[in-house]
Amino acid sequence: MAEVIANGVRLHVQRLEPRGGASADSPIVVMVHGMVMDNISSFYFSLGTCLADAGCDVICYDLRGHGRSERTRGGYRLADSMADLTGLLDTLGVDRPVHVVGNSYGATLALAFGLEFTARVASLTLIEPPFLIEGLGEEMARSLSQILVAMTDDEVEEWLDNGAGRVINRATRAAQRLLSDTTIATDMLATPAFSAEALAALPIPVLAVYGENSDIIGQAAGLAALVPECTLIVLEHHTHMVLREATGYLRSLLAWWLFDRDTPPPPYVRDTERRFATPEWVTQMVPPPDLNAGRRPAVN
Amino acid sequence: MSFQETAGPGGAGRAETEARVLGEVTEDLREVIGEEYVIDMDITLETTFSQDLELESIEFVALADRLRERYGEAVDFVGFLAKMDVDQVINMRVGEVVRFIVDSLPAPATAGSA
Repeated sequence: MAEVIANGVRLHVQRLEPRGGASADSPIVVMVHGMVMDNISSFYFSLGTCLADAGCDVICYDLRGHGRSERTRGGYRLADSMADLTGLLDTLGVDRPVHVVGNSYGATLALAFGLEFTARVASLTLIEPPFLIEGLGEEMARSLSQILVAMTDDEVEEWLDNGAGRVINRATRAAQRLLSDTTIATDMLATPAFSAEALAALPIPVLAVYGENSDIIGQAAGLAALVPECTLIVLEHHTHMVLREATGYLRSLLAWWLFDRDTPPPPYVRDTERRFATPEWVTQMVPPPDLNAGRRPAVN
Repeated sequence: MSFQETAGPGGAGRAETEARVLGEVTEDLREVIGEEYVIDMDITLETTFSQDLELESIEFVALADRLRERYGEAVDFVGFLAKMDVDQVINMRVGEVVRFIVDSLPAPATAGSA
């Protein structure tokens, strides 16, 4: 089953199960990807197939407007995304609590979902969630404007047409269409802040993962302080892209979280000497350095 | 199983089965990509998903979906992909997927002297 209609929207879904199928007590894991420059594939390949192979019943899907799901003109507020997710679970006949795993905006959505639909959630794993008690909408809009700046620059346009290759071209054009043809930017600005009182009463175990060199690492402590059952893991030398950078560790961390939570979490051992840092042009919101230099004749 | 039904008397040889599976994977790849450049491309066991086909990772998801539907329980694509990260998946050659499928399919029935 690759497509379902949920909340009136056509959503692309991939359900992954262990060989022989999931059993009645297999953990059901729902994976929610990030905003605009992301789709189902990031979770499908990093954690989806691996956790399914380990015995989970995994549901990966493309958010509205992303990947192979329908790109509606409106309906990108947090409340709409939550209605899409409840609609999806209902359509799939999921009637027991699920483990929600979210990345970036998908993690913010997961946390909001846990607060709003507590009975439907067994646990939350939040990978690099933008998290603020005040000004969350502005923060979301800020990261969108960052993406917009990077994508509408003339240098970038030239690079997309001539040097970027099919994969980057298609991903960026899809993101440009999402930003120009839909209300996602204004809908994000309307994202409500989290309520400190509601967070303090959250009865769901939460695993939060941030990269030490992430541009939003400053938000991690606030989240961990407010949520009662929060396990915070900060990974040295990693950035906001930790799902991609530290896939191997996150696989063992999630297996621990879902199957062995009574034991201490697995220690983080870097499997690469590489230290990841957020590029300056991302934090400063300036267009990337000359992307076209390689194809242009040198100017004397 | 449709595999055994089409294997023919005595069962198909490995090379013959590989050729048939390559044809099926190629057909699914062309449908998933759906662009002109791939229609005339000669897709072989050596073709790479990233360099030659410039396949997006979400297109590989769609390809895996079609292959899961085509081969059913016999081929454990989830287990196959679980051992790789996204870069390893997209850097594979078509032949690696074809050989995995051939290895997974039940051996064709042997009729006497095959």
